[in-house]
Amino acid sequence: MPTRRGFLTSLLAASTLPALSWADAGSPAYLGAAKGASGRFSLIGLGADASRRFAVPLPGRGHAAAAHPSAPEAVAFARRPGTFALVIDCAAGHVAHRLEAPEGRHFYGHGAFVAGGTILCTTENDMGSGAGRIGLWSRPDGYRRIGEVATHGIGPHDLLRLSGDVLAVANGGIRTHPDTGREKLNLDTMAPSLSYLTPEGELLDQVTLDPELHKNSIRHLAAAADGTVAFAMQWQGEAMAPVPLLGLHRRGSAPRLLAADDGEQIAMQGYAGSVAISWDGARVGITSPRGGRLHVFGRADGACTILRRPDICGLAPSADGFTATDGMGGVLRVTDRLAPLAADPGTAWDNHLIAIG
Amino acid sequence: MRHAVLALSLLATPAVAGVEEAITDHALSATDRFAEAAGALAETAGNDCTAEALRPAWNDAFDAWLGLAHLRFGPLETGSRALSIAFWPDPRGMIPRTVSGIVADADPIVETPEGFAEVSIAARGLFAMERLLYAEDLSAYAAGDYACTLAWAQAQDLARMGNAIAEDWEAFAETIRTAGEAGNDTFLSEREPRQAFYTALTTGMSFVIDQRLGRPLGSFDDPRPDRAEARLSGRALRNVTLSVEALRDLARALAPGEIPQTDAAFARALTTAGRIDAGDFSGVSDPRQRIVVEALQQQLVEARENAANEIGVPLGVSAGFNASDGD
Repeated sequence: MPTRRGFLTSLLAASTLPALSWADAGSPAYLGAAKGASGRFSLIGLGADASRRFAVPLPGRGHAAAAHPSAPEAVAFARRPGTFALVIDCAAGHVAHRLEAPEGRHFYGHGAFVAGGTILCTTENDMGSGAGRIGLWSRPDGYRRIGEVATHGIGPHDLLRLSGDVLAVANGGIRTHPDTGREKLNLDTMAPSLSYLTPEGELLDQVTLDPELHKNSIRHLAAAADGTVAFAMQWQGEAMAPVPLLGLHRRGSAPRLLAADDGEQIAMQGYAGSVAISWDGARVGITSPRGGRLHVFGRADGACTILRRPDICGLAPSADGFTATDGMGGVLRVTDRLAPLAADPGTAWDNHLIAIG
Repeated sequence: MRHAVLALSLLATPAVAGVEEAITDHALSATDRFAEAAGALAETAGNDCTAEALRPAWNDAFDAWLGLAHLRFGPLETGSRALSIAFWPDPRGMIPRTVSGIVADADPIVETPEGFAEVSIAARGLFAMERLLYAEDLSAYAAGDYACTLAWAQAQDLARMGNAIAEDWEAFAETIRTAGEAGNDTFLSEREPRQAFYTALTTGMSFVIDQRLGRPLGSFDDPRPDRAEARLSGRALRNVTLSVEALRDLARALAPGEIPQTDAAFARALTTAGRIDAGDFSGVSDPRQRIVVEALQQQLVEARENAANEIGVPLGVSAGFNASDGD
């Protein structure tokens, strides 16, 4: 147990060290996890032009990463139900810290920094009760666990920091237990929600969908500058259902669901893998690796542009739209069409592409 | 006769196979056959749109569709064509509800091809047409009835999609052949077409295993013959057999070498399919017949595993990295 004095000393040490920035890691625009030709996994920094700025080996398949807002540091999460996360020093190219989930907790695969980058928040499962938790970790104190708060839902997956350090949390609603792997234990009663919390644990707002959509697991999030949160869903009900997989919400108003025509919705196979909002806030996209599709909706009119690419999943905003990645090594520029920025058949890009900054 | 024997032996043991063979011998010939069969259905409907007159041509078109139904990339995915042609399974009963609704309303949208292409996919395609041709409460329509016009419109729509798919595949074949070349934004490497055909093969097999067989099988305690595909027309078994034959042909076309284990498993499966009595899978409720359907399902699982070893591995492709993960 570090003393208060030790804690303060380390805070001081952190603030007096020459501060490295993402420029020291080659100024990547994105972070992605990938499996390489050798079968090994790594965390890769990509420039906006898809050039590789760094690559740090990972011990196994990753899920998502959380990028520090200023320091060249990323937290890579194992696939759920993982019990460890690695803090990667992207400038030095090595693992700087290893985070172990406390007894009785496991990670869900996403995290976000608050408090000017000094506190890391991680989505976690309280295995005993199944209740969602946000774990809090102090970066200046070597990523020491400093507490946890409730997400007010089951199966929290993605989380985002909004302005004012409000946390948006996607409570997927699905209860799992590591003893039964990814088996879903509560599909008939699942109740997903989008929670808005303070890091101190105060529930500010909570959004749920109509009862007939209670099997639509709210999983991944993106935010626009105006505070609008886009949420992507995964349908756990019967197959061939043309249910919406994307919603938009702004605190204080009702959620708005976006969908393409029935045929396209069914072709998404009830599965959205990633969601992103363009920098200008005008467009929002979701990917379905199973359906081999990217749907880009105009926020003003709700019109959908349909782009097709097998195994497409990672999606993040870019200067003129989005950048997407797929399991076949493609890094794609997304405008009103898909154009390759890089093609490396030996690389399989994992679920998410994380924009830095 | 000698020529026929020679051709057969060539088919069984292709000296060279791969993406080009999958294009030429499999995809292009299957899309042509479907365009022709759907065209014949539309022509028949132009002469006589009553159920009795349309059934043989509808069955021929369905047969032809099963030759390409698994090619779920490229032209079949444009404009939701594959789903518009064959909307199944339909656990929510969208087709019966939509078809009955359109007939009850006598919706004039059926009168033009442009209008009809805009109706719900649940009112289009082979399964919506099956309702008109086979459902007891609908199929007795007369030549001047609204239902007859609807059947005609459905047939025209199928023919239009069949032609569009065949035409698009001619161009798409060139896109596949230039995989990895500058300017090809669809296939970024030579490996991607192999991946696409291989995924079509394994996904197609999974569809037969999990849906066409799995849905009527249900569980031993709760068999669901009512969930069989094309229940009204009683062609669930025929659909399985023709699908398996098409998938076997795709496997042979795509494989870089001999595939003895895969071939053997396909052969066992087709033999087993030949032993199933009830063409609509109503036998799944009878333990003695059920066991045969279960054996067929298991043999197809083996064929899929063998194909992974004999085709996926040498081609350097496997199931989608993200598609098969899910998180």
